[in-house]
Amino acid sequence: MKGVHGKLLEVDLTHGTTRELPIPEEHFRRYLGGRGLGARLLYDMLPAETDPMSPDNLLIFLTGPLTGSMATGSSKFVVITKSPVTHAWCDAYSSGRIAVQLKKAGYDGMVIRGRANHPCYLRIHERGADIRDAGHLWGKDSFATEAALREADDDPALGVSSIGPAGEKLVKIACINSDLYRQAGRGGVGAVMGSKRLKAIVIAGGHDAPLHDRKQVFGLNKENYQRALVSPVAQARMKYGTPLTLNITNTGGILPTKNFQFSTWEKALEKIDSVGVHRSVQKNVSCLSCFIHCGLITEAAEGKYKGVTVEGPEYETLGLFGSNLLIDSLPTIIQANVLCDMLGLDTISAGNIIGFLMECCERGLISSSKADGFDVRFGDDEGALAAIEMMAHRRGFGDILAAGVRAAAQHIGEGSDRFAMQVKGLEFPAYDPRGAFGSGLSYAVSPRGACHRRAWPPAKEILGNYPPYTAEGKAEMVCELYDVNCVLHSLLVCDMPGKFIPLSMEDYAKYLHAVTGESFSMDDFAEIAGRIETLIRLFNVREGFGRKDDTLPHRTLFEPLPDGPGKGQCIGEANLDRMLDEYYACRGWDSNGAPTKATLTKYDLAEDVANR
Amino acid sequence: MRVIVNTFGADIKLRQEIVLEPASASLRDVLSALREQYRAPLERFLNDDLSPREGAAVLVNGRNMWSLDKFATTIHEGDELTFTVMVAGG
Repeated sequence: MKGVHGKLLEVDLTHGTTRELPIPEEHFRRYLGGRGLGARLLYDMLPAETDPMSPDNLLIFLTGPLTGSMATGSSKFVVITKSPVTHAWCDAYSSGRIAVQLKKAGYDGMVIRGRANHPCYLRIHERGADIRDAGHLWGKDSFATEAALREADDDPALGVSSIGPAGEKLVKIACINSDLYRQAGRGGVGAVMGSKRLKAIVIAGGHDAPLHDRKQVFGLNKENYQRALVSPVAQARMKYGTPLTLNITNTGGILPTKNFQFSTWEKALEKIDSVGVHRSVQKNVSCLSCFIHCGLITEAAEGKYKGVTVEGPEYETLGLFGSNLLIDSLPTIIQANVLCDMLGLDTISAGNIIGFLMECCERGLISSSKADGFDVRFGDDEGALAAIEMMAHRRGFGDILAAGVRAAAQHIGEGSDRFAMQVKGLEFPAYDPRGAFGSGLSYAVSPRGACHRRAWPPAKEILGNYPPYTAEGKAEMVCELYDVNCVLHSLLVCDMPGKFIPLSMEDYAKYLHAVTGESFSMDDFAEIAGRIETLIRLFNVREGFGRKDDTLPHRTLFEPLPDGPGKGQCIGEANLDRMLDEYYACRGWDSNGAPTKATLTKYDLAEDVANR
Repeated sequence: MRVIVNTFGADIKLRQEIVLEPASASLRDVLSALREQYRAPLERFLNDDLSPREGAAVLVNGRNMWSLDKFATTIHEGDELTFTVMVAGG
């Protein structure tokens, strides 16, 4: 098969060795790459019940078959591991030059195991990899680390991924940073990297993987670019980026406000929404291999943080550091974004946890002595920024928060778990499911915990014709959305351009044929998605997860929304149960969410269970 | 009748107050009256028959018209109409 190399780089940091691992070509046909290949690898290579912070855990970086081909949106990579915050499957996606450079170095991915004796970084090239001393980098933030590594290598195309102090200190919401402002954010992948004492990965490849028909790839890009030029959705996205989503979620009543107590926030308008952010935009930027330049470089225009620059803030950061904390200062949110990026924290989890902390403080659940005198209330800009630093450095009460919102609620007690907004331990992204019940199902069944990437039900429930406040029809809808993104995340293309241009799955099949020379039908894609989601489910079942874990916080289930279009709505146990039953049936899983024998046979996975 | 209009597209306009005299309070008649005096900004969102163009949506107080009573949805004084492109994700 063209477009892939058929091999992985395996790095053993305990023994300081590297070797190549072949990938059977059949894996690409059955799992494509990215998420799918990662499911196969993690299931096969990671023993059950491995401690996520132990040297035995695997940190897997993967590309997809389209990576490096210049197909639209194809400079993505995924980091796959067992999450230290959920103890379940974890896949965290990011853009970055590292994706293309890894492919150019001759690998489809790398599997990192073990733990180095001393801080180290990997320097990968076409001949393999060197494990180098990173003593001079340990303690530096992600920006400084990347700058130092780029200066040392003097190659502008270099791919660099690194962790900040949060990853070094094993903060369970730590991310992996690439190209300064791009993060593999969710699930604590940065903490796993830190547990291996791996500060950074630097890659400079040499040659593209051979493509089946490069001219056809460029022809498809040209055709799709012409479509984007006349697409109102693409035009809006190119101008306003993801902050436009805040106007939709605020209008539709799913914007997290005051730790998900409310669903709309009037004060967000023209301050931290698309209009407000647009006033601070310096320029638009693109990922490699993408003509939808939806990245925004913004600069704080006033106040204490005047002049601070970031790529972002993206919608999730605006929602969780803005309305969720009742902060309407864009400069403060820009500063929060920069701090999280530098220190290596996921902005979604960080904003969510600080919202939880603010509610605990306002309810008087944290005594001054328990929190070392720290008290932070909604709307407290400086308090929120201080909490970021406390978490990243595990200072004072930040050490409790660094374990994630579920663990923090367990520590605090007093019924605070009722408003700890998480699933399986992973903090909610910036959508309140009470205003779109399908989002609740999507969060509940997500194998990595509350996830906005596997499906985006607001497209159907706010912008589409699905009634939002009912369980009816949601299982099938979520299953279909999951399957589309499963294929995109296995090809490892950004799921955004496909929705703006728009591109159909047939369009992606054309790209895949142009790159690999292999033909995939829509039935093939459906079967592959079903196989991948079932194999990931098998991984989690093996780790002890089941229906009991596919649930939602008390607030989402039982506290009616006090405002917005969904005023009076909450999901309720009966609706969740119905959606779970129907979702499991769509997947061919039993009532506890375990894949049935018939389903395992359908996807040729029966042997995986028999062999365990 | 006074309505509040938002347009979310390549140009964003928030909370515009518009006074109309629709033939009835149905969404169809309100859209028809609105387009009479607000034609250019709505061009990219509505087809000739007032249905949303492909890739666009019409929300009434944050709810998609298709999940309400469609064109028969009753519009009240002060209701918010949002015309938006189908943004996806954050």
